[in-house]
Amino acid sequence: MSMMLLLRQIVLFSQVELSRLWLTRRGLMTLAATAVVWFFLLRYAIAPASDILQEPNFQKSLTAAFGMLGLHQLLNWPAPELTLYWMLSLILLPILCLAFTANQLSGDAARGTLRFISLRSSRTAIVLGRFCGQLAVQLCLILLSLAATLIISTVRQGSISWQAIEAALLISCHLLIVLMPFTALMTVFSAWARSSRLALSLAIVSLGVVFGLLSWLIYHQPDMAFLLKYMPGAQIWQLIPAQGWQSLQLAALPLAQTAVFLLIAQQILSRRAL
Amino acid sequence: MNNPIIKVTQLVKSYGRHKVLNNISFEINKGETVALIGQNGAGKTTLFSLLCGYLKADSGSMQLLGEQPGSQALFGKVAALPQDAQLDPAFSIGQQLSFYGQLQGLTGREARAETERVLALVDLAAHYHTKAGALSHGMRKRACMAQAFIGSPALILLDEPTAGLDPANALHIRELISDLSQHASFLISSHNIFELERLCNKVLYLQDGQLQQHNAQPNESIAHLSLQLATGKEAAAINSDEVCQQLRQLAGVKEVSAGRNHEYQLSYQPQVVDDFDIRLLQCLAANGWQYKQLSKGKTLEQQLFARKQAATVLS
Repeated sequence: MSMMLLLRQIVLFSQVELSRLWLTRRGLMTLAATAVVWFFLLRYAIAPASDILQEPNFQKSLTAAFGMLGLHQLLNWPAPELTLYWMLSLILLPILCLAFTANQLSGDAARGTLRFISLRSSRTAIVLGRFCGQLAVQLCLILLSLAATLIISTVRQGSISWQAIEAALLISCHLLIVLMPFTALMTVFSAWARSSRLALSLAIVSLGVVFGLLSWLIYHQPDMAFLLKYMPGAQIWQLIPAQGWQSLQLAALPLAQTAVFLLIAQQILSRRAL
Repeated sequence: MNNPIIKVTQLVKSYGRHKVLNNISFEINKGETVALIGQNGAGKTTLFSLLCGYLKADSGSMQLLGEQPGSQALFGKVAALPQDAQLDPAFSIGQQLSFYGQLQGLTGREARAETERVLALVDLAAHYHTKAGALSHGMRKRACMAQAFIGSPALILLDEPTAGLDPANALHIRELISDLSQHASFLISSHNIFELERLCNKVLYLQDGQLQQHNAQPNESIAHLSLQLATGKEAAAINSDEVCQQLRQLAGVKEVSAGRNHEYQLSYQPQVVDDFDIRLLQCLAANGWQYKQLSKGKTLEQQLFARKQAATVLS
């Protein structure tokens, strides 16, 4: 398949996914649900905690307690709201991502819609297009929630700094990269499963089983502990205290994981009877 | 020289131990409208799925327009109406068909215009903005059919195109296929023999995983007539044996067989008598028998299934 045609079709698939978010009832419900969740997080967690983070005594205590782990770096973000958003998102979004992206292919396959599409597009383009579409949708949601966080910070401080905007952009880049392997993992399971619910169940069970087996292996063979570094999301703990654009060097592992998962998904869909 | 638009050679497909398609080979030439017939479970949909690239064959080869099924070169050239496939209920049918048009390489504006054209073909022009989930079964079916006409496909595969449609829409679709068959080749699967008889000039008959090829418009030295006599108060009492006996006495008649409801199949040699049908009508009039229907040739149903029925009766 020519690269231009592949890229054109990926863009078309991504546009459809964005239309699904902004122009369909289900998409608008997703937006509404996201807004409600972030409203409660911002109103009742991030805003009050931002005030606490500003207190010098709390900052001293944090540095004393977690200085060895580098967590005191969290205090270096230009706004405390961004610090809390960063921590919450790194933990929450990968989990939500599994549920949110579970229906990339399985619904269309079960309905037969993929039969119409596969007469006009390669299965590689379908896999990549749906994956990129899901990333575009998640980027929209991340940017919206970050904008809300910045607004709260601006209201509290009375102004907004360029550093805060730059930090928000860095956070959105990092979060997108963090979500890539999880989205690609769901591409694999949605290419395999007959329904999004089954895809989500398989993903959760598989992650649990793999983590359990690794734990058992490491218990008996401590030298194998390095394997845990290759689990999806393993870089999140290194990311929490990370600062600045140079922290993007941690993106190599999730990008590699994403490539592997997408290759597996492409192979599964290519062999799947539609 | 024939130019096969579909070439299938020794195709085999099994589900577990059940061999659905067993070494089937056939060719379909450009411009032909071909019927695919078979009982339930005969493998018609499997064959369609293989030709569309939805399934992989166990062995054998298939070529559509000289390419493998599913090949990028076939995008936009081969279209299909798969059985039971549905459009996404979240989007309007216009949005989805425009998206398909764009995947085929049309610009956004061209895709919209093309969508309006194909929706008009299936009488859904007013439903561009209607979501697929809000359409009736018949309208959804027509919308699915419209997607098969986007662009200018050279080959269109239709699996049960009129199943679930009301008679008026079924007739409209048949006329549409008949018109479009001037520009594209069709392979049509259906249980409606009446429909296939009118649309197709070639028949592929799947039976027990094997293919029996059959020409729907054969050129034979033996001609056939199908006759049904009228019954009722005004019609004379009819004895089938007597009818057969009288018909056999007509010049040129080779064979007469009686079916149910006073239906008769006649085989005769047209070269012996030029005006056989007139003599037949004179025979009916002389005996006071009124005919309800008289048609030249065997019905497709008779051609395909009469031998099987006879075999069943004998066994």
